Amino acid sequence: MTKTNQANAVIITASLGFLSALLYLLLYVFKDIIWSISGQGGWYFIVPISIAFIMSYIHGAFVNHFWDVLDIKPNPMRS
Amino acid sequence: MELFFDLQLTSVLFLLFVGFVGGLVSGFIGAGGAFLFTPAMMSLGIPAIVAVASNLCYMFPKALQGGLKRIKYGQVDVKLGAIMGLSAVVGVISGAIIQMEIKHALGNAGSNVYVSSVFVVILAILGAYALKSAWKLYKLPGRQDDKEHPINKLSLWVQSIHIPGTMVYFRSIDTKISILFVLPLGFAVGLLAGTIALSGFVGVTVTMYLLGVPGLMASATELMIAFAMGIGGTIIYALNGFVDISLAMIILAGSLFGVQLGVVSTTYAKDYMVKIVMGVLMILITLSLCFKLPVYISDMGYTLSESTVTILNYTSFTILLVALVTGTIIILYTFFQGRRQSAKALALAKDEQAIAPISEPEYFPTSAKQLSPTGRFEKIMLVTDNSGFSAAATREGIRLAQRTEGYLSVMSVVVTNSEHESLARELIEKENHEAIFDLETVKNLANEAGVDCNVHLRRGIEIYQEIVDEAEVNRVDLIVMGRRDYTGFMRVIMRSSTAKVIGYAHCSVLVVPKTAKIEGKKILLAVDGTRYSDTAASTVMSLAKHIHSSVLVISITAIAHEEKRHQDSLKEVKRIESFLSQEGIDVEGKVLSGNPADTILEFAKAKNVDLIVMGSHGHTGLNKMLLGSVSDRVIASSECATLVVKAA
Repeated sequence: MTKTNQANAVIITASLGFLSALLYLLLYVFKDIIWSISGQGGWYFIVPISIAFIMSYIHGAFVNHFWDVLDIKPNPMRS
Repeated sequence: MELFFDLQLTSVLFLLFVGFVGGLVSGFIGAGGAFLFTPAMMSLGIPAIVAVASNLCYMFPKALQGGLKRIKYGQVDVKLGAIMGLSAVVGVISGAIIQMEIKHALGNAGSNVYVSSVFVVILAILGAYALKSAWKLYKLPGRQDDKEHPINKLSLWVQSIHIPGTMVYFRSIDTKISILFVLPLGFAVGLLAGTIALSGFVGVTVTMYLLGVPGLMASATELMIAFAMGIGGTIIYALNGFVDISLAMIILAGSLFGVQLGVVSTTYAKDYMVKIVMGVLMILITLSLCFKLPVYISDMGYTLSESTVTILNYTSFTILLVALVTGTIIILYTFFQGRRQSAKALALAKDEQAIAPISEPEYFPTSAKQLSPTGRFEKIMLVTDNSGFSAAATREGIRLAQRTEGYLSVMSVVVTNSEHESLARELIEKENHEAIFDLETVKNLANEAGVDCNVHLRRGIEIYQEIVDEAEVNRVDLIVMGRRDYTGFMRVIMRSSTAKVIGYAHCSVLVVPKTAKIEGKKILLAVDGTRYSDTAASTVMSLAKHIHSSVLVISITAIAHEEKRHQDSLKEVKRIESFLSQEGIDVEGKVLSGNPADTILEFAKAKNVDLIVMGSHGHTGLNKMLLGSVSDRVIASSECATLVVKAA
């Protein structure tokens, strides 16, 4: 990876990591509110589902880039 | 209503660890991690029903991401997925209703006993089966897993039963099967998911062995079914307030880190080792639950002495920890050991290359080879993706290497898609094998044409990134690649890897659309008075000699431009014309008016040009997005090949 690409990858990873950490912080701070809203029944089931989608997407993207930046890659000799 | 799980630091750390190990194991063995998550959550005192509900909630976004990708690749039997998915949703809802009825009638204790009992039976069977497979693989290394295409007696029998009015054609098996078999199977898989959140492993096995669906399509279709079950189960449990989103997200945080490491580690492991890890862990978890089961039963009112309960709890938790730690150690050891050996093997291969005798340089009829690095075509890298879109690029890459007596390297990229691939490990293997087969085919073609060639397979998240990195590592002079023909909105959202490679690569890029052919008729050089055009002109000079082609030089001015601009363009064209003619190349220059990209395309078509050459201004990132580029538009719409030359 060239220096420029490496720097870009680190910036993207750090941004996604920050976003992911922020979402987890928000989840922790508002856990009681989220819990009470989710438990109301009816269409409020959308709340946990939406949270699962968003966090899975953001955190998943962060982790992908995280391992990539650390050069954790599949076996190049495997055929 | 109270939270099911109190966020104490130690419990959160334990769950993060469980998530990480569960992810690690699921990535390594290619199955979901619910068989670890649910018992581990229960060991923290979380009611079984909440553990199952939270696991389903954590599972479905991954399945959706993986499933969408597989649909794009045509690996999903959408009809089968839809029918089984619908019946699985009914199954998962039924499983959830049974769970909730048991919880209502017998409380959390009853629910824990029910879930643990089902787990013990299922995990004992699956664990024994995995160890048996491991033994077979160990005894017969290299043997193809018989799951690859299990046309066995049972699936043949299912396919032979004809019940009028119920037969449905499925493309994955290329035959009709009675829906009366498909619906109950989907229901059973869903019922199991609703009961213990275990779905992927069972679903894939059922569709392969009972319906005869090939392994690749079975695991891809299972992602669609897993999504349907996951979202159906989450909705029914969430409606009744059993989904603890904090719990699910803590598991998610750890598991996503683990999954990718597990997927990577598995590429360093022997096949039987994967099965051993799977079997040993399942048996250990079964054992742990066997010790815990009497405690859950005692919670229902059957007396057990306090000391007995303590001993059982302690033993159960210790076995669980042993399972988690053992799994982690084996997988991480496999990864680090494999990586070390792989690095050694790679270093050895490079040393061999370094001491190989250097051949005498061939005579080249110009001094430009030494003077212009951009005019060099000594190292050509061909990118192939095993599709019709790269066929023309393959042909032209080999021909160019033949004409320039250059060295050809052929590369392909397999996209590793981390966590969702963990649900279908054999997909990665299948893609790898296909890519290697394709690379070897191209290598044979090149060798037959007398071109020396080597092949590289890379895996990564971003195709363009891997291509650019490979070009950098091998210091290639030119990348040759095809172009996917997206139109309209798809072109906007699916900005091609080709465009990104051009944006980020430091060397020149030759883009060959699938109908293009470089016959050496005419090269069109588009210039704009910048130093990038001079670089492009140097390259054209070298290229025209190689392929014995005449050159058309054009500069384009907007209709609104002043006369002075027109004169400047004329001077520029004349300068380059003179430069090329001094090198003995047949050249003709013109200044045209109009929109640059459209004019280049129209002129190229009218003059029957077979190669357009342009200099690149090298905009990347935001600049490229905001400013766009003429070369981008020409590449996207040109019928002939386009060479984008990077400034030295």
